[in-house]
Amino acid sequence: MTVSSTISSTTTSAATALQLEGISRRIGARTILEDLDLTVSPGECLALLGPSGCGKSSTLRLISGLDSPDSGRILLGERDITALPPARRQVAMVFQSYALYPHLSVARNLSLGMEIRGVDAATIARDLDAVLELLQLGELRQRRPADLSGGQRQRVALARALLRRPQVFLLDEPMSNLDAQLREELRPQLRAILCGGGAPVVYVTHDQQEAMGIADRIAVLDAGRLQQCGTARELYHRPATLFVAQFIGRPQINVLQEPDGSLLAVRPEHLHAVREGGLQVRVVSREWQGASQQLQLDTARGPLRWVCDGGRTIGDAVRIAWEPQHEHRFAAGGRRLTP
Amino acid sequence: MLWQLYTSLRTPDALLGGLAAIGRGWTLANYGQILSSDPPFWRYLLNSTLVGVGTTLLTLLLAIPCAYALQRRGGLQRQLVDGALLVAAAFPSVLLFLALLQLARQFGLANNLLALCLPYAGLSLPLAVLLLEAAFAELPRELEESALLEGFGLWQRLRWILVPLLGPAVASTAVLVFLFSWNEFPIALTWLSRSELLTLAPAMARIAGSSVFSVPYGAFAAATVLGSVPLLLLLLVFQRPIVAGLTQGAIKG
Repeated sequence: MTVSSTISSTTTSAATALQLEGISRRIGARTILEDLDLTVSPGECLALLGPSGCGKSSTLRLISGLDSPDSGRILLGERDITALPPARRQVAMVFQSYALYPHLSVARNLSLGMEIRGVDAATIARDLDAVLELLQLGELRQRRPADLSGGQRQRVALARALLRRPQVFLLDEPMSNLDAQLREELRPQLRAILCGGGAPVVYVTHDQQEAMGIADRIAVLDAGRLQQCGTARELYHRPATLFVAQFIGRPQINVLQEPDGSLLAVRPEHLHAVREGGLQVRVVSREWQGASQQLQLDTARGPLRWVCDGGRTIGDAVRIAWEPQHEHRFAAGGRRLTP
Repeated sequence: MLWQLYTSLRTPDALLGGLAAIGRGWTLANYGQILSSDPPFWRYLLNSTLVGVGTTLLTLLLAIPCAYALQRRGGLQRQLVDGALLVAAAFPSVLLFLALLQLARQFGLANNLLALCLPYAGLSLPLAVLLLEAAFAELPRELEESALLEGFGLWQRLRWILVPLLGPAVASTAVLVFLFSWNEFPIALTWLSRSELLTLAPAMARIAGSSVFSVPYGAFAAATVLGSVPLLLLLLVFQRPIVAGLTQGAIKG
C-alpha cells in the first residue's frame, strides 16, 4: 500500500520496539496493574484482552503518559520514556469515543495537530490528501463530527493518529461503538492500515474474536495481572491458566471437577458422539446456528456444552467422549498442570 | 420598560392628569432635555460602555485560566476555594464601598474610568470563576487528552480546543459581568466626581435629584429608556449563544 507507506512512520523514524518492565499502578487500596511485563516488536500488533476492569485501558494510559506508573519502566526503542510528558512521547491514541474536536471540520481536525507541531503548509496539504484518500474520507472534508456516522468518525480518528507519525499506535476499543457487521468489515482494513508500518500497535479490546482477527499476539489480563501472552493459537491450544482457557474460545470451555481436586477442561468443539463407552448425556437445549449447532447437555459429571456440525440430527440421549490430547488440566488455583 | 417608555413621552401635567388626559400632552421634550444636557447624554453611555467592556475583558482574562486550573485540580483544594468563592459571590458588595473608597484615595484611583474596572472585576470574579468552572467540567476529558497527545501545549489547548467550546458559557458570563458593571451605583458614585466621567447610574441619580421642587419623572424615564437601549442591543446580539449555553449538552467527543 504505497499511500499507507507515505504515512507510516518508517519513512520518518526508525522502527522501535515497545517494552514494559515491571509496571505497577495502585489507586488507594485497589491494584490496577501488578508487575506487568510486555514487549511489542516493531510493526507488531499486540492485543490487550480481558474483561472490564482488568487494567487494559490503564495500561494504554500509562504507555501514552496520561497516567504515571507507581513502579516499573516503559522503554521505546532504547529510550526510557517513563518520566517523559505525554506530548513528547510521540504516541498516537484512538480513544473509545474518538475524541474528535466538535467545533472543527474533518480537515481541520486532522490538520490542526500538524500545524501546532510546526509542519509546513505544503506537507500538511499533501499528507492530508493522502490520508483522506487512504481512508475514503474525501467527500467528508468539510463536515463536522456531529454530521458523521460512527464508522466515519472512527476513520477520522484513525486518520488523525496516522498523521501524528507516532512511534507507537494505541487503540482503546475503537470498534466498540460500531455494530457487529461494520466491525466485521472494518477489522481487516484496520489491520492492513496499521500493522504494515514500523510502529508497534497496542490494541485494547474485550472481544476475543476481534483480538484474534487483528492481532499478531494477544496478552490476556485479569485483575491487573498478565495471564498469558502469545499468539491466538498458543492461547487456544495451550492456555496457561484456567482464566485464559475460559476466556478464549466460544462457546466457553467445559470445566469438570476431578476427584483429586484438580480441574479438567475440554472445549465444546472437541467433544464427539460415540456408540459405546464415553459419558451418558441428556440434551437439555439446542441452538441451531447454520453451519454449527450448540447444545446444552446434562451429564453425571455436570452440565456440558457441545458444538457440532449443523447438518447432524442429534437424539435426546447420546454418549459423548473426547480425545485425551484435547484435555487441559488445571490446579485448583487455575495454574496449568499438564506439560 | 413599557411604562418607562410611556412616561418618557408625557409632559409632567399629563402624567398627573390621569386617564382623562390620554389624548393630549404627548411630547418629546423630555428626550430633548436629556440629550441637550451638559455634558451630553451620550457621554455617559460611552463611559459606561468603556467601563463595562474593560471590566468584562479583565474578568474573563483572569477567570478563564483560574477556572481551568481549579476544575482540573479537583480535590479538597478545589472544594475549599469553591466555598470561599461562593461566600464572596453572595456577599453584599455594597458593604465594601467605604473600604474601596479608602483604597481609591490611597492609590489615587479616583476619577479614572479604567481604574474603576478594577473593583468591578474583583467583585465579578467569584461568580465568573464558578460559572466557568462548571462550563469546563462539561467538556469531555478525552478531548483535552487527545490534544495533549497531539503535542498541544497548555495555552494551545485553551486557545484552540477548550475556550472555543466554551463559547456559550463565556458569552453568558460576559453578559452578566457587563450588566453588573453597567448598573453598579455606589462605587461609581464615590469614585467619580467629574461630570464628564460619570457612568450611567450616578448620572441618572443626578438627573433625578436635580430639582428641589418636583421629581422630573419624564426626564428620568427618558434617561432610563436611552440607558437601556445598549443593553437590549447586547442581549439581542448574544441571545443565540446564551440560549445555546442554557441548552448545552450536545457536546459529545
